[in-house]
Amino acid sequence: MTFDRTVSIATRVMREIVRDRRSLALIFLAPLLVMALVGFSFSEKQDTLDRVAPALISVFTLLFTFVLTGISFLRERSQGTLERLYVTPVGRGDVLIGYLLGFLIFAALQSLLILLFTVFVVDVNYQGDVRQMFVVLIVLTVFGVNLGIFASTFARNEFQVVQFIPLLIAPQIFLSGVLMPVEELPSYFQNPAEILPLTHAVRALRDIMLRGESLGDVVSELGVLAAYAVGLLAVAATTVRRT
Amino acid sequence: MGTDHHKGGVGGIMRGPEQRPAVEARRLSFAFGKRAVLRDLAISVQPGTVFGMLGANGSGKTTLVRLFAGLLKPDSGDVRILGNAPGPGLSDRIGYMPQFNALYGSLTVRENVDFFARMYGVGDRLARAAAIDSALELVDLADRGRDRITSLSGGMVQRVSLAIALVHAPPVLLLDEPTVGLDPELRATFWGHFGRMTAEGTTILISSHTMDDAAHCDRLGFLRDGRFIAEGTPDELRATTGAASASLEDAFLYLVRTGASS
Repeated sequence: MTFDRTVSIATRVMREIVRDRRSLALIFLAPLLVMALVGFSFSEKQDTLDRVAPALISVFTLLFTFVLTGISFLRERSQGTLERLYVTPVGRGDVLIGYLLGFLIFAALQSLLILLFTVFVVDVNYQGDVRQMFVVLIVLTVFGVNLGIFASTFARNEFQVVQFIPLLIAPQIFLSGVLMPVEELPSYFQNPAEILPLTHAVRALRDIMLRGESLGDVVSELGVLAAYAVGLLAVAATTVRRT
Repeated sequence: MGTDHHKGGVGGIMRGPEQRPAVEARRLSFAFGKRAVLRDLAISVQPGTVFGMLGANGSGKTTLVRLFAGLLKPDSGDVRILGNAPGPGLSDRIGYMPQFNALYGSLTVRENVDFFARMYGVGDRLARAAAIDSALELVDLADRGRDRITSLSGGMVQRVSLAIALVHAPPVLLLDEPTVGLDPELRATFWGHFGRMTAEGTTILISSHTMDDAAHCDRLGFLRDGRFIAEGTPDELRATTGAASASLEDAFLYLVRTGASS
């Protein structure tokens, strides 16, 4: 029964996204426009682009995933349907996993689009296997979806979810080796940077894209990221009842 | 709704003064922060009856419904439905219609009802289809199943919301202002449904601020400042004014002014 409910929630989430044509178009067009802008702005500095591409792919994957999930999950609350769900026998786990699965398809497609567009259209030079890069992004995407759900359990409206972007995402952009490698950060930022999930995603993707390493080489980075994803969902399960 | 899958109807609920209340609260208090909403409130609703909570905006009606639905926890006192505290073990026996129609706008009427039927765990595919058909027929929307919620009128949306509340044939219905915004004909239709359901054993707790609804209830409670200032049948409450031609509205105003209780 629980499995049925989870699948029903995931199906319903997907159906809602598909029915909203304009949002659907934005989900896939916005990342392409942003990555195209990145490509143009680095068009005369191919070396720099190659170096920052893994970080940019990671950042935008996380950002888009977070916004997509955070706002959608919040809508469930603001339109009152989450409250209505709580009056049914459905469990918190059913709701969260259902949402995760429902969003994951679109978030993963979005991430795949970002990756493929950056690698093949923006034409970044890379060494590793694109499929393995995608695996890294999938783990990052699951983390982003869970971060969005988690953040929206603390927000009362869309405005507040957007406020979480500077709070939860911006520090990661500055400290996760996106602007400069973690090793070049001031010493007092080194340890905090190691704690941030995005640091591990950027490092894993960078190792595969720039150094040609394989998933086996970055398994510890992926492990940290996955632990964050699972941990966040577990914490969200305790905060999701907030109506 | 047909009696074939009606848990309340076939369950053999006997009417009588000595039976256990289907919905009950004792010494119930609840506050939002420092603002007390319900104070030491008591309510007892017999099975197979409609109890109407009447009161002005902000008198605590919605809070009381949400407490019974298990969405809020009492600060003190006791809330019981069918003898149990509201919670996960009880949720499939409660139908809840919130004040604001909480529906998925981009989904169709049938998809909405089907989704909640699944959440309530209504049988297999065939049983669920039958329950949805039955609920949609009851709210007179059988021919609108394929329409999206966003394409419906306000009254139709409200009827979908009611269909969701009763798709799993619960023995207890908690309806928060279900008739607001309905035209008189629809209002009469709703009350027709409620009457049939209580005859089959369903217990209905309904909140309203219109005296038109009040006349249809078996018992009424006038809610003011977080407690019932009067409770009784519509006739009993009318009689409190002492005037033979008094309306329920007269009775309400009289009781508010005198602060009397019956």
